[in-house]
Amino acid sequence: MLVKFIGKHTPKCREMIRILSQSMDEPLPLMMRIKKRLHFLICCWCQRYEEQLHYMRRTAREFPKHADEASDVPFSTEARERIKRKLTENVR
Amino acid sequence: MSTADLQSASRWVDDHGECLYRYALVRVRKPEVAEDLVQETFLAAVRGYEQFGGRSSERSWLVGILKNKIVDYFRKLGRETSFTDMEFLSDEFSEKFVSVGFWNHDLGPHEWKPEPDEVMHRAEFWQVMRDCLSRLPEKIRAVFTMREMDGVPSKEICAILSISDSNLWVMLHRARMALRECLEMHWFDTPAGGTT
Repeated sequence: MLVKFIGKHTPKCREMIRILSQSMDEPLPLMMRIKKRLHFLICCWCQRYEEQLHYMRRTAREFPKHADEASDVPFSTEARERIKRKLTENVR
Repeated sequence: MSTADLQSASRWVDDHGECLYRYALVRVRKPEVAEDLVQETFLAAVRGYEQFGGRSSERSWLVGILKNKIVDYFRKLGRETSFTDMEFLSDEFSEKFVSVGFWNHDLGPHEWKPEPDEVMHRAEFWQVMRDCLSRLPEKIRAVFTMREMDGVPSKEICAILSISDSNLWVMLHRARMALRECLEMHWFDTPAGGTT
């Protein structure tokens, strides 16, 4: 009964994940925050989805620090020399 | 510019070139573009050396210049072609939902383990992250990178790329969906991702 009520009065999951994504970029209005909390009572998937959005943000912020571990294209000696040549040409 | 200054500039390339190149490459993904941006950074640094008062480290100063070069690159892309990409993932994984819009329970998000602090020590995870980011179309990846990697406020991204708030939200939503799906499939649902 309660599950049906919440299901009927809160956004469906497909819409909810769109709202969750938007909430990463701007604060939700109070009423929507309440609806989100209610929706989470009946839906562990949407709750998990929100946790994963935060997880991805945390890892994305860390990603540049690990660029060397993830890099597939090294900074070649040729590139280094090209840049040095260009610097010499341009500053003379 | 004196010979001594030129030697300093050459030393910058040796000391900071690799770091700057990787910084640019994770954001623009195209090696030739990353190299050009690094080159422009060094040229700007040489020309504006008087403005470097030594308040920050040499590297921070150079990264600051590179950040602006990257933003300029995205701004230019936005001016040349519409930066809106509404085609990518337009069905938004409709197969994952039943007709009324609730999750299909078998296809909903799986539980992710281990915790972020644990995966951050694993080089393989960062390779999967890189591959998943590479799969995003250029414009979608650019908005995701600016927002999530660099924390640029959404209003600022809209101004840089000349796109509307609603277009940005759709693009970010689809980028997050696609990245989430890719990380789940290629890391969290694999033996490498599930174990420490």
